[in-house]
Amino acid sequence: MESVLQLSVKAVSERLAQILTDYLSNNWGRIPEKYRHITPRTNMVTELQLDSFQVMEFMLEVEDQFDVAIDLESLSDIHTITDLASVVIAAHAD
Amino acid sequence: MSLLAKFNAAEQLRSGLAGAGQDPTGVVFDAIRSATEGVVEGRETILAGTNNYLGLTFDPECVAAGIEALETQGTGTTGSRMANGSYAGHLALEAELADFFECPGALVFSTGYGANLGTLAALLEPGDAVLLDADAHASLYDGCRMSGADVFRFKHNDVSSLERRLKRLGERASRCLIVVEGMYSVLGDSAPLDEFVALKEQYDAVILVDEAHSVGVFGEHGRGVAEQQGVLDKVDFIVGTFSKSLGAMGGFCASRHRALGLFRYVSRPFIFTASPSPSIIATTRMALKQLRSRPELRARLWQNASRLYASLQENGFELGPQVSPVIAVKIEQKERALADWNRLLRGGIYVNLMLPPATPGSASFLRCSVSAAHTEEQISTIIEAFAGLRD
Repeated sequence: MESVLQLSVKAVSERLAQILTDYLSNNWGRIPEKYRHITPRTNMVTELQLDSFQVMEFMLEVEDQFDVAIDLESLSDIHTITDLASVVIAAHAD
Repeated sequence: MSLLAKFNAAEQLRSGLAGAGQDPTGVVFDAIRSATEGVVEGRETILAGTNNYLGLTFDPECVAAGIEALETQGTGTTGSRMANGSYAGHLALEAELADFFECPGALVFSTGYGANLGTLAALLEPGDAVLLDADAHASLYDGCRMSGADVFRFKHNDVSSLERRLKRLGERASRCLIVVEGMYSVLGDSAPLDEFVALKEQYDAVILVDEAHSVGVFGEHGRGVAEQQGVLDKVDFIVGTFSKSLGAMGGFCASRHRALGLFRYVSRPFIFTASPSPSIIATTRMALKQLRSRPELRARLWQNASRLYASLQENGFELGPQVSPVIAVKIEQKERALADWNRLLRGGIYVNLMLPPATPGSASFLRCSVSAAHTEEQISTIIEAFAGLRD
């Protein structure tokens, strides 16, 4: 994988959207049909309504795929996939 | 009044839970007959979800010790340990816990929750790093957050997930605290502490193990999962509670590091809480004595646990990954779990209902906790009641 620092927020967002799509692929559950196409603008809280367990599993996957450490405290500022992309890039720069 | 709008969600939750019958968060025991029997809504009920692993809550010697302490020392200490709340009994219990865990010191807290908060808040400060098992108890999460340290989670019981995160920390790994539990309270699964300890030594980190559900249950002498896996002397901090195997209330931290003795000067949850009442200390001390002198209680506990686990498995229920005194029966649908829980309660069996998102895998569980005090007949009745859920 090329360095995260060389990637744009857009590129990281697209990769994150794919990771989340893969994660949810067998468990869309109560997520409305109209939100199932995940994009960088998708809001994980209001649109996908991920519960805390799903957020945790997804974040652990993101950490491993991007080889970054994301502090629990950062999660409260993350709503959209783009928000998360910024946090991933910042974590990689640390 | 928008400040109170947040309670709308709680009201919805309450209505949903109460809709199927009894609200599982509001069960009232009108009477407690013994360690394994109570009365709920006028019905005689077998208690199969009370964490009373050794069944010591009605032990005559524990009860007598509590009464004597009430009569000779009064109802409460009315103060914190830093002021007027340190009695000889508190210090004696700390010495006995240190002896039990074969380490230089132990510190008593007023609750198990407070022990975790107080220990983590004392150990950590902003700039430190914590690697926390994702399925850790809320009190461990809260203590880590309270400390201001950077908190990173790793996959539950996953050694390679922990190692990847230790690697990512680089030089910070040596200022890192690994936080895990001995046995986890939802599924009853044990941590691979021997492997976690090997990693912490490799990276020069520190490990804290919460043995709340495993003291009195695991290990040749009942010291917990660390003893069972032969790494007790390598664990830096052991935290636990008096409210499960010891049948009382309160918590502790034991450590081979002498810094523990200084926690009392820096741990706000320790400093600003009234100390445990003398009767609680007296019953806990007696329960610890019983735990140490009556290994047959542990043998009986495992006998009951093995029988219940095997029978439920034979009945086709999906259970937690290993035999332990916590036996979690998985029910996929939350509504079905709620209905089954109500059916068990109406049939005279009390178990815990665990619902998502507080559960692994977003599933629901009917969680039994077995006691050494359960009779064979009671275990049979519990098995029959679960079999009835299949009808």
